[in-house]
Formats: sequence, structure tokens, C-alpha cells
Amino acid sequence: MTFMDVKHIKKIYTSKLGSKGTEALKDVNFAVEKGEFISVMGESGSGKTTLLNILSTLDSATEGEVYLGDQPLSSIKDKEVSRFRREQLGFVFQDFNLLDNFTLKDNILLPLVLSRKSVDEMEKTLQPLVERLGIAHLLHNYPYEVSGGQKQRAAVARALITQPKIILADEPTGALDSKSSQNLMEILQDVHQNGQTILMVTHSARAASYSSRVLFIRDGQVYHELYRGQKDPDVFIDSISKSLLVSSKGRV
Amino acid sequence: MKISFFSKMAWRNIKANRKLYYPYSLSSILSVAVFQMMASLMTNDFVRQRSAALPSLFEVGTLVIGVFSVIFIFYVNSFLMKRRKKEIGLYSVLGLEKRHVARILVIENVMVSGLSILTGLLVGVLFGRLSFLFLNYLLDLPNAMGYSTSWEMTGMTALLFISIFTLTLLYNIAQVTFSNPIRLLKGGKEGEKEPKSSPILFVIGLLSLGAGYYISLTIDNPISAVNQFFIAVLLVIIGTYLLYTAGSIIILKALKRNKAFYYKPGPFISISGMLYRMKQHAVGLANISILSVMVIIAVSTTVTLYAGTEETLNNRFPEENNLSVMTDEEMSSRELKETIESVQSDLNEISSEEGYTMTDQYYFRYMTLWGEMEGSTLAFQDFQGGSEIPLMVLVMPMDDYNRLAEEPVTLSGNDLLFYTPDPDLNRDSLTLFDKTFDLKQINDMPGVMNGMSQLIDPILLVTPDDSTLDTLRNQRNSELAEYPVTLSADFFWSLENSQNSTEYATRIQESLRDTDYPVGLFYESRDGNREDWYSTNGGFLFLGIFLGGLFTIGAVLITYYKQISEGYEDKERIQIMQKVGLDKETTRQATHSQILWMFTLPILTAALHTAFAYPIVQKMLMLFGITSNTLFTLTTLGVVMGYSLIYWIIYRVTSKLYLSIVE
Ligand SMILES: Nc1ncnc2c1ncn2[C@@H]1O[C@H](COP(=O)(O)OP(=O)(O)O)[C@@H](O)[C@H]1O
Ligand SMILES: [Mg+2]
Repeated sequence: MTFMDVKHIKKIYTSKLGSKGTEALKDVNFAVEKGEFISVMGESGSGKTTLLNILSTLDSATEGEVYLGDQPLSSIKDKEVSRFRREQLGFVFQDFNLLDNFTLKDNILLPLVLSRKSVDEMEKTLQPLVERLGIAHLLHNYPYEVSGGQKQRAAVARALITQPKIILADEPTGALDSKSSQNLMEILQDVHQNGQTILMVTHSARAASYSSRVLFIRDGQVYHELYRGQKDPDVFIDSISKSLLVSSKGRV
Repeated sequence: MKISFFSKMAWRNIKANRKLYYPYSLSSILSVAVFQMMASLMTNDFVRQRSAALPSLFEVGTLVIGVFSVIFIFYVNSFLMKRRKKEIGLYSVLGLEKRHVARILVIENVMVSGLSILTGLLVGVLFGRLSFLFLNYLLDLPNAMGYSTSWEMTGMTALLFISIFTLTLLYNIAQVTFSNPIRLLKGGKEGEKEPKSSPILFVIGLLSLGAGYYISLTIDNPISAVNQFFIAVLLVIIGTYLLYTAGSIIILKALKRNKAFYYKPGPFISISGMLYRMKQHAVGLANISILSVMVIIAVSTTVTLYAGTEETLNNRFPEENNLSVMTDEEMSSRELKETIESVQSDLNEISSEEGYTMTDQYYFRYMTLWGEMEGSTLAFQDFQGGSEIPLMVLVMPMDDYNRLAEEPVTLSGNDLLFYTPDPDLNRDSLTLFDKTFDLKQINDMPGVMNGMSQLIDPILLVTPDDSTLDTLRNQRNSELAEYPVTLSADFFWSLENSQNSTEYATRIQESLRDTDYPVGLFYESRDGNREDWYSTNGGFLFLGIFLGGLFTIGAVLITYYKQISEGYEDKERIQIMQKVGLDKETTRQATHSQILWMFTLPILTAALHTAFAYPIVQKMLMLFGITSNTLFTLTTLGVVMGYSLIYWIIYRVTSKLYLSIVE
């Protein structure tokens, strides 16, 4: 079943001075099936973040449309957008975006508070989640008191706590060392195996190897994709790396 | 590396950070200007010459503004530095030595603060002059208030702010030197720890505030009130600071602990936000509260004084014309009576010659003694004006009392009529120079005598006859021969159909000069004093409005800067929350309730302080002859409402500013 359909997305950033503008996305097409774990890869500046922002309603496309099920995202009214973000989407940002003046617990609970859930319900959802992510003992610490990996896990917990339909992650391992990265990817894999749909932007072939499909993006277009199928992780990394290599050679 | 390199770098930094430097410079400039104007008033002729209490009042005011300036500039500076830490950390990482960074900071500081001080002084001088011109035009007083720029005070202002800016600079350099680049890079992001609540400070604050309030409520002597007033002010200021800093944290933490309340969008956003920055902002709020009280008191008292001028005149001069009669220590009350009556008939004659008819003529003879109540003995002493103020005792004969009082009394040989404002002094009998009298109490002094009781509530003794009065005087003078007391009298009259005029007053004045009565005479007309009083009280009004304006500027300044700095601090937080699904409406609600609290709190505090200051201020007003409460009550209410309105406007404007930064 198609969960999200991305059709002919084009994004041009126009500068205020009215010059030509940058074409960040030219014509992006792909579909996300329910329960898929997709990685998007591409060089820096290839438009990955732009794409993610459009999928998450943080930004809008110049042309084209994103369908969530049958509903075009652009048809969601301004008022509903926040609710939509809160209830259907979970974000994991590259730089965590945790609030300094909240404890990890309050950071994680934020989306539930905004949805006006009862305290009982919050506590019930929180406990198993933080135990699974291994940050249960850090709930009362502030972000500046924990490590990068722990912060990122708190950010993941915040994204998961609403049980969103899709999780969007922008280079979630970008600020982490390899051990923390691996740890985080295992968590995401785990989440995926529980049936959640994930779309992740990443630079790292190793991180991408945890997903079920990899999209390669270049010059504002998806030019290649790889399915993991039954491949061994190591084999999959290999083919991803090769594709990346081809892509950069193609440039030369 | 050459100095010019650093100068260029510093200048570039200032330009690059102009969004931060605009409000910073504006705040510095206005602080300098406000302090300069306040300090200049200390050398104002009116302030120095009109009243003994005024110079010390202005000294205290200037001191308070000075302390506020220090706190405020540090607050403004800490906000600026927090925002710039990242940039400064980057320099270190990029290989600039710490002493070079320090040098850049010094140059930046010299540029910005130098410019701010110069501009501030200029603004102070110009604005001071302009507002005096404007107020003179607006109030149209009989005597225009003179403004002289005090170069001495301007120099002092410069010195003060140079010191403040140097201190902030040293503080900044210390911060850069003693923290490592990584921590600087994290800069504003690195969390300040959640503030600890300290119940001890809270209790001290409560006690201090309570003591201040208690002094105001229990004070009974307007002369000693001037000193106690300052003590009360100090206690209340300390109490306010402590309660704001410690109390706000205790309350916010308690709210946070209430999970059902806390985990809702509005409180969740605002409580965490407030708690986080309460430490600095509590001081800002306390400052605003105190400035607001100062505005309210300054304006309401001076408006009362001015509007109450007629009342003052009526108290001081029960009738249009007032003649004070002074005698030597020999003259008996009977001789005094005869003299007054001959003066009276002479005056009547002169008046009718000029075509005037004297009405409502009456006089009373009295003697003023100072003493102390020891048991039921009243021991007399000399008035030395020390810190311990003796009892003031007015003694007058029964005949004169009956002329003034609504209900005449009859006293027999051993009786004294007795009035005291102090219930503790009530007695059944009283011994004076070994003779014991029976006391008959009355509840009030005759209204005509209001003019004599402005400073201290005196005891009144009425003797059954003239000779008792003379005997008492003689006994007193033989006991304390070096400071003899004499009898005095006041004679009042009006003219038919209120014919009083300057010509009449001048005529009376002249005719009294050429006489040779055996007494000293001093004539005053109510009319003749009116202009004097209006110009004095107008001067107070002028100062009150000017000070009110200055303090309002101070309050606006703090409010403005608070909103801006909070805007920048909250901006990122709100953006993150919006990414996670906070909608615009909830944002508005949360920030509105947060701003609303931050605004109503100081104004409520100010109103409460004003209410408790009311008795003490009212007693001080009695020094100026304002004895009725209604006028002061109404004025204070009016001023509180007027100020709340102004504050409300400030609130609307600055919260728009805040929202425009956040959104
Ligand atoms: N807000 C923006 N305004 C103008 N140009 C932008 C903006 N954001 C990104 N771009 C440009 O769009 C292109 C794609 O950027 P981005 O999506 O951030 O790439 P990636 O995340 O793949 O590194 C880049 O050339 C970038 O310079
Ligand atoms: Mg990116």
C-alpha cells in the first residue's frame, strides 16, 4: 500500500534581490510504502534537506505535490498543519533540537503536552519507550548534562512518543561518533521492525545499510535506487558505496 | 599585530552585531541621560532652598537611580555577551590569543560605551532643558522653574558610567579568559542550571517587607517620619528584591511540581521559560516595581500638595487676615488682652476709613511650652530640637478657648481642660509645678488651631482664668530662667463681602509699622501668601511630574529591554516547538499569559507598596499643611490608574515587539 507519494516536486529558492534563484529540487518522484525504511543519499547541497522539509510541511514545494494516502499535503489548512506535524509525523533532527530549559523527560513529552494528553497517559507511554532507548535513568537531566548520543536518543524518543505514521530523520547520525551512530541505527531498525515507516537522510553508507531501500539524489532528481532485499549488511554497504562512487564519477 | 587591526576588527564586530548593539546603546544612552537629569536636580535652586527635607530626598533618589543603573547595565551586558559568546569562542579556536580577544573587547567597549556616555550626556542636557521649558509652559506657574545644567553632576555622571562600563568590561574579559573556547562556542546554548530555591532568602524578604510596612503603618510623628521613611523605603526595596528573586522561583517550582497543571501547553511553555530566566529577570521586575512606586508617590504627593494649596492656606490662615502678637516675658495676659483690644479698635477704625468693614474678629492668647510627661507630672524643659522630641504643650485661658470652640466650657479653680492626640497620655489629674489639677478631657482642638499643629500634635491645656496662665508662665520662667517663654496671641478677621485686596493688606501693613504698641506685631493676609504657596507647591508639582517622567522612562527602558532579550531567547525555543507541532495560536496564548504575568506583577506590587506607604506619606504631607485625607486618597487612586494606563500602553507596544521577534 502506498503511504506517501511524491510527484514531480520542484523547489526553487528565490532570493530577495529577485535574481534567478537556486533550483534545489528539479523533479523528484518516488513513493513510500507503508512500513518501509528508506534512506536518501546524495552529496552535500543536492537537496536532501529541502526534500525532507517539504515532506514534513516545514516548507512548501514550488511545483508538484506530495500525497499522504489520498490527501495532498498542500490541502492541509494552515491551522491543521501543526496538528498534522504533532500527530502524524515524528522528526529527528541532525542537531537534536532539544530545548535547553526542559529536562529530557519534558523534552520527550513535549508533543504529547501539545496534544493535551493526560498526565497518566503520558507517563504510561513514556516509560517503555525510554527503557527501550536506554535513557530511563537520564529523564531528569538537562540536555547539556548528557552526551550527544544520549541527546539523539532523547530526540528519537520525542519523535516516537506520539506513535506517528512516519518518522523523518535528517542526518540523525551526523553529529555522532561511530559507536553512537551504530547504536542509534539499531534503534531505528528496531522501530522499523515494529512496523513504523521511516524516511532518513544520511551521508553514511553504513547508516543507510540499515534501511530497506536507498534513494540516490543528484542535481535535484532521484537518479538511482537500491533495494536491500535479502542482502547481507556488508554486501549492501558495498553496493551503496559503489553507487555513491559512480555518482561522483558521473559528475566529473 | 597593530592596534589598527584590532580597531578595524572591533568596528566590524559592532557593525555585524548591530541588531544587538542598537538596543544596548539605546539603553545605555537613556540610563546615562536619566541619571544625569536626576543628579542635576540635586543642584537645582528650588530643591536646595525650598525645604530642608528636599535635598536629602533627592540624594536618596539619585542613589537609587545610580544603583539601578549599575544593575541595569550589567543585565544589558550579560544579554549581549551571552549572544556573542559563540563568536568570541570562534576567535580562540581560530587561533587568536586570549589577550588579543581581550584587546578587541576593550576597543569595542571603549567605542560603544564612550559613544553612549557622550550621547547620553547630550540627551540629558538637552532633554532636561526641553522638558523644563515644556513643563513651565504647561503648568504656567507664577514663578517659572529655573533649570541649570550642573557640569559638576554631569562630570559625576560620566565618571559613574565610565566605572560601570569598565566593570562590565572586566567582567567580560574575565569570562573570556577563564572559560575554554568549547564552552564559549556553545555560548548562549549552554544551559544555566535551573535556579535553586532558597526559602531562607524568601523569609528574610518577607520579614524585611513586613518591617517596612509596619513602620509605615505605625509611624505617628511626622518629624521623625522623615528619617523612618528612608528606613522603611530601604526595607521595602530589600524585601521586594528578595521576594521577587526567591519567591518567584519557589512559586514556579511548586507549580511545576503540580503535574496536572504543568503538563498543559500554556503552563508547560511559560513556566519552564520563566523559571529558566527568573534569576536575572526577577531583578528587572523588582526594579520596575520600585520605579513604579516612585512614580506614583512622586506624582500623587505633589499633585495633592498643589491641589491642596487652598486647604493649606485655610489651615494656616483661618480668616483672610492674620495678626500675630508677640510679647516680652513681663507682659501679663490681662495687659496682652488690653493691648490686643486697642489694636483691634485701631484696625477697625483704619478699615472703615478706607471703606472696609471688619467681620469675624476673634483672637486667642496662648503660650507654647515643651516638656515631658513623667507619671502624672508634666516637667518642662527647653526645646533643643534633638532627636528625642519633647511634648509640645499649648496653654491658653478659658475665655479665649470659649471664643474658638463650638461648645463653651466652664472651669473652676482647680480644673484644667485637657486635649491630647495620644491616648497614652490621658490622665485624670496633672501636676504642674507642685500643684495638682483635675483634668477635663475634650476630643478635639478647635479647628482654628489647625495651623499650629502641622508639625507635631500638641497637648492643649486650658486654664480656668488668666491669672493661672500668668502663674504657670512665671513658675516656668523662674525654673528655666535662661530660656524664658512669653505669651503670644493670634488675631483673625475677615472683611464684609470678601473685600480683601492687596491695597487693603498694604494699608494695614503700613499702619502697623508706624505704631508703638508694647507688643510685636506681624501681619499676614491669606491673599498675600497665596501666590507664595502656589509657587512653592507648583514647584513641587513640577518636580513631581519631572521625576515621575524620569522614573517612567526608567521603567519603560527595563521593560523594553526585557522584552527584546526575552524575545531573542525565546525565539529559538518557540521555533523548535513549532517544528514539533506547536501551533501559532497556542504560541500566542502561552506567550501572552507569560507576558501578562510579567506585566501585572510589578504593577500589583507597586499598588500594594503604595497602599502601605499611604499612612507615612500622608503624615509627611501634614508637614505641608494637608490635613484632609480625601484629596490625597483620590489623587493617589487617580495616579495609580493613570500610571496603569500608561503601563498598559507600554505593555501593548513592547509585547508586539516581543511577538515580532519570536514569530
Ligand atoms: N533557505 C534557502 N534559501 C536559498 N537557498 C537554499 C536554502 N536552503 C537551501 N538552499 C540551497 O538549496 C540547495 C540544496 O540545499 P539542501 O537541501 O540543504 O542540501 P543538502 O541537505 O542535500 O545538503 C543548496 O544549493 C542550497 O544552497
Ligand atoms: Mg542537509
